[in-house]
Amino acid sequence: MNWSHFFALTATHQWGSIFPEICLVVLALSLLIIDVLGGRRIDRRLVARVAITGQLLLVLVAFTALIGTDDRLDRETFSGMLVHSQFGQIMRFFFLVSSVLVTYLGGIFLKKNPLPGTEFHAIWLLVTAALMLLAQSNHFVMLFVALETVTVGFYVLVSYNRNLSNGLAAGLKYLILGGVSTAILLMGIALLYGIAESSGLENSARNALKFDELGKFLEFNSDNSIARTGVLLVVAGIAFKIGAVPFQIWIPDVYQGAPTPVTAALAVSSKAGGFAVLVALVSGPFRPMADLLVPVLSAIAMATILFGNIAALTMRNVKRLMGLSGVSHAGYLLIGVVAMFAIPEARNAIVFYLVTYLLATFSVFGVMAHVSEGGRDDIQPIDVYRNLSRENPFLGGVLALGLASLAGIPPLAGFVGKFLLFYAAFKAQLYGLLGVAVIGVVLSIYYYFGWIKEATFRDWKLSRLEDEPSPRPKVWPELGLAGKIILGGLALLILLLGLYPGPLSSLSQY
Amino acid sequence: MVDFLFYLFSLTTLLAAGTVILTRNPINAAMLLILTFVGTGALFVLLGAYFLAAVQLAVYAGAVIVLFLFIVMLLDVETARSGKPNYPGLVAGIGVGALLVAGALVLYKRGDYFTLATLRESVPVGASTRSFGVELFTTYMLPVQLAGVLLLIAMLGVIHIGKRTRDSSGEEASHRQ
Repeated sequence: MNWSHFFALTATHQWGSIFPEICLVVLALSLLIIDVLGGRRIDRRLVARVAITGQLLLVLVAFTALIGTDDRLDRETFSGMLVHSQFGQIMRFFFLVSSVLVTYLGGIFLKKNPLPGTEFHAIWLLVTAALMLLAQSNHFVMLFVALETVTVGFYVLVSYNRNLSNGLAAGLKYLILGGVSTAILLMGIALLYGIAESSGLENSARNALKFDELGKFLEFNSDNSIARTGVLLVVAGIAFKIGAVPFQIWIPDVYQGAPTPVTAALAVSSKAGGFAVLVALVSGPFRPMADLLVPVLSAIAMATILFGNIAALTMRNVKRLMGLSGVSHAGYLLIGVVAMFAIPEARNAIVFYLVTYLLATFSVFGVMAHVSEGGRDDIQPIDVYRNLSRENPFLGGVLALGLASLAGIPPLAGFVGKFLLFYAAFKAQLYGLLGVAVIGVVLSIYYYFGWIKEATFRDWKLSRLEDEPSPRPKVWPELGLAGKIILGGLALLILLLGLYPGPLSSLSQY
Repeated sequence: MVDFLFYLFSLTTLLAAGTVILTRNPINAAMLLILTFVGTGALFVLLGAYFLAAVQLAVYAGAVIVLFLFIVMLLDVETARSGKPNYPGLVAGIGVGALLVAGALVLYKRGDYFTLATLRESVPVGASTRSFGVELFTTYMLPVQLAGVLLLIAMLGVIHIGKRTRDSSGEEASHRQ
């Protein structure tokens, strides 16, 4: 084969278009090199600092790119593997911001636990790069490889605290169940590929793994039973990633056993990755399957909202509580996905909800990472937070704002997110789903405010008996300047987006 | 000649696969599983899918079986005693097998999807090593690169979780107690 033929085949490989992803991989590799060259002489925190600085630079670059690149959008690169759309750009930025916050939480975690840190930061950077590619994938091969890179990274990160038997058990559970879900997803992709390229059918596709060609095939063959099975299996594989019923069974144990920053990453980045894929599929190739997917996704959404909220009611471990409440948030987001079949603009509501979910979840996990003790990261009972607000008003305030935003209390960002989602569902006439969602929100107020009550009002009216010894005063952690800026910034953004949601909702309008 | 070879390798594969289930020695079972994979690989060669045959031998007969043998040896599994057979497993196996045979029969009876003509028409990517390689390094360049990242993650993870460090697990843990 001569070179001109090779260049013709690779003409669409525009490596500049995935500049942020390449930078992340290079950053991860340089962290490893710093570790190898420096050995024991270097400060343990140097690696974390380099990781955060590099990512902050990337966030700046990506933000300037996000504001002004309309001419470079809506084109395919890498022979159709990737598509660059506004939605993909926003999700890329989302994953980058989430990555910076997880790296920051990881630094706190590693300070308290005697574990090597370089591998954590390097693996997390690589996982973020894969997530960013996942959000832009336009081809099932790309989607599968990116999703597997993310999942394999999470297998390692979940069991990162290998001195903890619960952490290893969580990693093993995630490995086995993740393997099963990958097999289901792959079976679905294989069925779709096989049926869409079989020349015995009309309108068979030539390159069925590409999203748009598969969509064209499904438009004409939406009642083919093999195609329907394939679509269902693919959706089931993604449902595992977002933690929707009946694939939510891994969530409490894995969330509890994983290190706190990894739990935050699972709750935000992994879930958002699943939704990015689901939104791309539903707005693209699976759109003709509405008669199948609308009832199925509606049933999943209802079961997910009810299960997540009811199961979270009795949880006393805050990591399990956040996991199960995250299940219910996946349910609310699924309502938006169902609404997308009727009104495609529901995608904006999903993006806005994901952003508010990121802000609120990271402010809660930020407080959790500071309050948790070193060593037993898996045991974080709600009692630890007793009187947090009175003795450390800053941490208590951030926690209360984050939890209230997750519950959807009016002046905060979470309320606007829920309002936009429910409004989209109302316009799509999904009244049954709306009813279930409202019940779910009411239930969620109980456990979110139970936590706030524990932190704020616990000893309000309980007069202590005379002979009872007063509990030893708890030493709350000292926040550094970076911690104050990050947590305060998150809380401020929650308030600002609640009062003035304009800038973000205009950003996601297209 | 091809017919004779087909029957020879099919018979080898079937006999070896049957013995894998029936033998009580796990080492023998693993060895016979290699024979099964080799037989399947030979069938791929007869179909003209040389690359697939090579992958079958390298990955399954090579890597997967070595992994099996490692586990058998590490766990020191003794020869299974002749107890009562695993009835649920038996029923499930027969059920799945019956479904597979039924599916093959249905396809054979219909014969319109997968006649030789339609199969020849669309030469799959993996059929020849050359077209496979060209596709990998042109169309599928980005997924291949990303697979490299995946392997890097796996390597880092294995090193981190498998490594026994004195400063993290041993000494500090005993200091704390």
